[in-house]
Amino acid sequence: MELADIDLVNPDNWVPGVPHEAFKVLRKHAPVFWQEMPGDDAGFWAITKYEDVVAISKDPLTFSSFKGGTILRDLPEEDLKNTQTIMLNMDPPQHSKYRKLVSQGFTPRMTAALEPRARAATTEILDKVMAQGQCDFVREIAAELPLIVIAELVGVPLEDRHKVFEWSNRLIGFDDPEIEGGAEKGKMAAMEMWLYAHELADKRKDAPRDDFVSLLLNSAVDGEKLTQMEFDSFFLLLAVAGNETTRNLISGGMLALIENPAERQKLLDNPALLPTAVEEMLRWVSPVSQFRRTTTRDTEIRGQKIREGDKVVIYYQSANRDEDIFTDPYKFDVARSPNNHIAFGIGEHFCLGANLARLEIRVMFEEILRRMPDIELAGPVRRLRSNFINGVKEMPVKFTPSRVRAAG
Amino acid sequence: MKVIVDYDRCEANAVCMQICPEVFELRDDDTLHILIEEPGESLRGKVMDAVRRCPRQAISVKE
Repeated sequence: MELADIDLVNPDNWVPGVPHEAFKVLRKHAPVFWQEMPGDDAGFWAITKYEDVVAISKDPLTFSSFKGGTILRDLPEEDLKNTQTIMLNMDPPQHSKYRKLVSQGFTPRMTAALEPRARAATTEILDKVMAQGQCDFVREIAAELPLIVIAELVGVPLEDRHKVFEWSNRLIGFDDPEIEGGAEKGKMAAMEMWLYAHELADKRKDAPRDDFVSLLLNSAVDGEKLTQMEFDSFFLLLAVAGNETTRNLISGGMLALIENPAERQKLLDNPALLPTAVEEMLRWVSPVSQFRRTTTRDTEIRGQKIREGDKVVIYYQSANRDEDIFTDPYKFDVARSPNNHIAFGIGEHFCLGANLARLEIRVMFEEILRRMPDIELAGPVRRLRSNFINGVKEMPVKFTPSRVRAAG
Repeated sequence: MKVIVDYDRCEANAVCMQICPEVFELRDDDTLHILIEEPGESLRGKVMDAVRRCPRQAISVKE
């Protein structure tokens, strides 16, 4: 593959899979690579080396999340202003203040308290499909648990969780032709979610509960309460961030185990390896392919001059296959240790839900390996058409049906 | 060297404790305690590793 052939932007190039061949070439020959974009959007610097992705993540004042937002496309002014109300698209010091509002709810100790609920939900999810002996892994297994858990945490009633599923799909999957409507529908999904947040806030104001909605409504940043827009944006972030990503990790992780039967056998033989296997799934799948930053000053990376206002895009999947960091990076190894992957990012915006995600993934795979150890593909895997999310849309599987087991 | 923790940034991930339990102890209530405020040179490697790998960049060292 020649450098001139490389196009990381075209979502069609991501349909067969993450473009690892292109990343290999870039890491070796052009670790700071100028990638053009179609239409009027400015080109950007594609960053594929682990060390650089880490350094950029750790310098939010130079590599801003606020200035241009964190998605690849350049947004029109009004849309940009709206996204800047979401914590993900803030810089310190503003970011730090917002983050403190919710961070206490996401520590390992706090998320560990959710384990019984996660296990009960997982048991129920698997109970539903057991007798069938086959299902769509994505919709019937992977998608359900993150929805239940984040709905509980954030305060979305269980009966509304499928609305969140639909909105979230439309918001993130906008490049995929099967996710109806493209960017316009994505915007509408955001508005519907904001409206929903608004109604939920009204209900909680009258009857507060011990959940995040109530926490956010009673919180203040710099002595000022959150505006309606800020609250709605926070809600959107928590509801979306906790949904897509974990779902895609569970699907991608399952696929990795199916494609690597020797590794699956290691786990069946030694279940104590599971936490290590979860980290390897994170490294292997890296559900978030990239995030964008915009420079606030002239700078340089590996001798390449970067101008103020340039777009810089950090590729987590490439960093997580960096030959300088990982031995045999193209081997899926459930016992890989150490495993300093950066699937959750690092620094200011380190994934707030990392420990929650780890809990969900571990519990889900504990139950899958225990109750359907022979699970196999029963049809073609269909991937999300996206340069942003490493997603699986559909994954038919079959397994030996067992008697429905009571929760406990 | 003196170990400094920014408690506003710390989110109890305990990566530091995994790397260098001699210096970093995360207690059950999610509070981080520095066991040795000025560790000896023999611990420098581990302490600097904790600085680098803290997901929230909450640890620094003053020489």
